[in-house]
Amino acid sequence: MLRVVIAEDAALFRAGLVRLLEDRGHQVCAEVADGDALLDAVARHYPDVAVVDIRMPPTHTDEGLRAAITLRRDHPGTGVLVLSQYIETRYATRLLAGDAAGVGYLLKDRVADVAEFADAVARVAGGGTALDPEVVRQLVRSSHAGGLAALTAREREVLALMAEGRSNAGIAAALVVSASVVEKHVASIFGKLGLPPSEADNRRVLAVLRYMGS
Amino acid sequence: MGSTSPVTMPAGDQIPGRLAAFATRAVRELLFCLLAFPLGLCFLAFPVALAEVPLGATLLTHGSQSPQAQPAGVVAVITGALMILLLVFLTPRIALGLGGVYRRLAAWLLGERIAAPPAIRREGGPGRRLTAPLRDRPSWRAAAYLLVKLPVTIVEGYAAVFAIFGLANLTYPFWWHLFRNHPPNVRLSPVVAVTPFGSLRIATFPGTFAAFAAGAAMVLAAPWLARGVSSADRWLMRGLLGPGRLAQRVADLEHTRALAVDNSAAMLRRLERNLHDGAQIRLATLAMNLGMAKEKLGDDGEVLDAAAARELVDSAHRGAKDALSELRSLARGIHPPTLDNGLADALATLAAGSVIPVELDVDVPVRPRPAVEAIAYFCAAELLANAAKHSSANKIKIRAAGREDALLLQVSDDGTGGADPARGSGLAGLAQRVAVVDGQLDIASPPGGPTRITVELPLRA
Repeated sequence: MLRVVIAEDAALFRAGLVRLLEDRGHQVCAEVADGDALLDAVARHYPDVAVVDIRMPPTHTDEGLRAAITLRRDHPGTGVLVLSQYIETRYATRLLAGDAAGVGYLLKDRVADVAEFADAVARVAGGGTALDPEVVRQLVRSSHAGGLAALTAREREVLALMAEGRSNAGIAAALVVSASVVEKHVASIFGKLGLPPSEADNRRVLAVLRYMGS
Repeated sequence: MGSTSPVTMPAGDQIPGRLAAFATRAVRELLFCLLAFPLGLCFLAFPVALAEVPLGATLLTHGSQSPQAQPAGVVAVITGALMILLLVFLTPRIALGLGGVYRRLAAWLLGERIAAPPAIRREGGPGRRLTAPLRDRPSWRAAAYLLVKLPVTIVEGYAAVFAIFGLANLTYPFWWHLFRNHPPNVRLSPVVAVTPFGSLRIATFPGTFAAFAAGAAMVLAAPWLARGVSSADRWLMRGLLGPGRLAQRVADLEHTRALAVDNSAAMLRRLERNLHDGAQIRLATLAMNLGMAKEKLGDDGEVLDAAAARELVDSAHRGAKDALSELRSLARGIHPPTLDNGLADALATLAAGSVIPVELDVDVPVRPRPAVEAIAYFCAAELLANAAKHSSANKIKIRAAGREDALLLQVSDDGTGGADPARGSGLAGLAQRVAVVDGQLDIASPPGGPTRITVELPLRA
């Protein structure tokens, strides 16, 4: 069971989120509709994870994102899963700056795939990463790192899945190949990008994102 | 006796009030004349001063006991040419500066606000930048103003002289005895009193009455003279010190174009916001509900939780219908489909949806451009919404009439009035929208009502 705080100004969508999470046995400690209330709620409840909408009152621009960044600084124990109707690369890089542990950035559409979404919430709560495939695509597209050119198409696919926060087993399942093939790809990617291989998933993501952001 | 005073008071109060207004206006106009006169002479003095230089140079060379006249002539020609160059070079700059001073004086004293001409474009190399004022039309128009104004300046000087010396002449009888209390057999030279028709020489006390009479006439005439000449000056200033008709038109177009761009940007932002907070979030919620329902139904055969699934599908169904109706109203807000059939149909649909009964009178024989139709429609919609919100009217009248060169839209109601573009941006926004096609928005809405708002949209762009 996870303890969750939800910040979302659209009441209907918020009610849906609450139901979805409670159906899975999680506990929603607080549901709020703006950034300041979110910070208060997290300070009071110390939840495992906060699910945060980017655009909230009063300015309807990025107060959710700013609140999320503050949370990451002040409450490292709380995972932050940011939801939005658009993916903005700049938002992603701001959110992921420094450390990709316990962070997620998903399109609101992903909530429709209930099991995957619940998975992402759990992963972020546990200190993992959940990046929308769209975020990864944009980051890969916008990065001008020369090293990426050296990757094969397959390796790029693996890299993208890795950046989403998937484990080698998860990548193997997604690409319908064996785990050993994935391991080979990963080793090759790290070799080409000049990164030392590592066990922890989120460190891999961090490394990849840092590389892409540079 | 005292009981009648409250009745007469207002009437008695009014006339001094009017007099006071007249007096302040007269004083302002006289002050304008007084200040304009030396300024006008300033401009005249400047070429004269330049002309003095070659003259002085010639005299100097003459003075240095040189027997030949030739060097003196050469010096005169060279300095003369230099001075002419300097004159041409400086005239636009000085004229522009003086023109600015006049514009400010006119705004301050006459209440005549004349827009400043556009700033001189200084671009290109240093040479072009230096000579930029020479190519600046407003500068030369200011110079023309100062030249044409010379005779006007003289009359302005007269007005000032009338006022000042008129007042002085009025005082003669009062101080005569203070200074002229000499013994009877002493003869003093006469005192001079200035009048427009030559000076009066006054030697005796009765003579001062002549000065007094002349002074009274001058003081009475001065305000009228000042008024006449300052209106002539205003006319000149409007024509020559403003930005010019073409430049004004360009400025107006730039302004309305900026408005149009801002308007469309604001509209797109509003649209995005409506989609984001409306249909989009409804559809996301709907997808989430369906996703949860799918889980409740289970993967194969066995239904896990039929009641919950039914409930979730039910709310998804409701969400889909809500999203549809929201998208429909949004689409209609972008472009009402009935407008395709013409303004009459569109206004009829609009009128039918109004809470307050609407009397509609549309007579538009020739269809205007789509943009004009759309603006007229949105004006009508906004005005109708305004009336419903603020007027507490019982009846609204919408009249649309196609004239030869303009489309006239009038929305009137019998409500409480007091519509003011300064309060709330609705009317101001409409005025901007209308201005984009050179149209006009006229608001007649006294407190207590009724309100009548007329929109005139030219048919030709």
